[in-house]
Amino acid sequence: MKKIIFALVAIIFSASVFSHGPTPQKVQESVTIAASPQKTWEALKNYSEIKKIMKVRSFKDKLMKAKYELIEKDVPFSDYNAQIRVKKGANDNESIVQWTARFYRTYKLNPPIPEGQDDATAVAAVKKIVGPGLEGFKKYVESQ
Amino acid sequence: MKQKKLSIFTSKILYFFILTFFLVFLYFIYLDSFNKENISKAYITNQGDNTVSVINLNSLKKVKTINVGVAPLGITVLQKKQLVFIGNVGTDDISVIDAVNDKLIKTIKLHTAPLSLTSNSEETEIYITDWFKNNILTISVEDLKVSGSFKVGKTPSGVTFNEKYQYIIISNRDENTIEIYDKDHKLVKKIKAGAHPFGIYSIDDFVYVANVYDDSVSVINLVDWSKYNFLVGAHPYNVRVHNEIAYITNTVDDTLTIFDLSSKKTIKTIETGETPENLDFNFKLNLLVNTNWGSDSISIFDAQSLQLIKEIKTGAQSRSFGDFILH
Repeated sequence: MKKIIFALVAIIFSASVFSHGPTPQKVQESVTIAASPQKTWEALKNYSEIKKIMKVRSFKDKLMKAKYELIEKDVPFSDYNAQIRVKKGANDNESIVQWTARFYRTYKLNPPIPEGQDDATAVAAVKKIVGPGLEGFKKYVESQ
Repeated sequence: MKQKKLSIFTSKILYFFILTFFLVFLYFIYLDSFNKENISKAYITNQGDNTVSVINLNSLKKVKTINVGVAPLGITVLQKKQLVFIGNVGTDDISVIDAVNDKLIKTIKLHTAPLSLTSNSEETEIYITDWFKNNILTISVEDLKVSGSFKVGKTPSGVTFNEKYQYIIISNRDENTIEIYDKDHKLVKKIKAGAHPFGIYSIDDFVYVANVYDDSVSVINLVDWSKYNFLVGAHPYNVRVHNEIAYITNTVDDTLTIFDLSSKKTIKTIETGETPENLDFNFKLNLLVNTNWGSDSISIFDAQSLQLIKEIKTGAQSRSFGDFILH
């Protein structure tokens, strides 16, 4: 419970903190998948759902790191870049997939910031892509 | 008689002890000053958790975390005066840290977002790019107060000081220009750069600026104002030059480009942590350090061999836009 409250406070705080300035925003989420890192990495390269949202910039096999940019233009955030990494889990048949996105709000000029163009709106919109995106990928790999 | 002899003996012993104690004391003071003078440190602004991490570059360990204002980004280190200036874009102020004991000694209110900072070579004046109101603000190092301001181009971003010509040089991100001002704050030259010029560096007769959207670096000659560009990795952020070699952070590729300015060729590309933003050297220890915004860390390389020595965890969203190493 304490952890949840702490996380909530952290989220509220981090969203309100960056009301000024051209500060890049970060959304970083992870999911644990019941498959070996190698199997998960190969699955990521073939998985089509993520490729519908993001264009692949590169797949670095050695580092198990994929780089993406956004396809859709009509979004409440800008300058989006992301990477997905596959890391070792607690055992050989488990992997951790981490999605990190870097982006800015759409309004970059002097405050006051118009509604819907602020940092909080941008963060919320990216979280809607990252969370469900990871869940969908987990289901895909574990059903293989 | 016997008692007197004994007391002389005791006082001699006492004298000896006092002398020894004094010498040991002096030795420790000497050792302490020796240590302080010789420790090199990196100061890392962590924009995500409102702190500055202090990294001892001799022991390669994080030694302290200092609370500063909200969303710290820009930084400059005064080597002679042993002061660190931090720009907080969330609280619109400057945190001043005493680098001898790593304590916050002053907060200077600006009422506008300080994007980056540098100082003149005498370390008497700090220059700050004022992102929202398109100024350069100056701070007097002696008074630790805002001493003035002057108008510049739109969205001033990076700032650097050229020691040879005593120029203040800035990049204006959203209008794709570089502006060069003299010591009296008079505009000497305004030049087109690439798309979204950001991190900037100047030494001897040249200015180097990373163009984020063009994946390039512009090199500008301060004598004849000639200019050329060279390509680097994806979304370069900052650049440093040493001995005719340019070192560039590529934020989207997680790499550094090592470019030979004499032969105009990329010598090497090396892997960093995630989203490398800024970089600085320590030539005394032969180190090249870069901040990793994505992995909340710094990467420390051997400046000669470019081998990774260590990656050290810092705080959330490590940036340090500016010179961040105390030599």
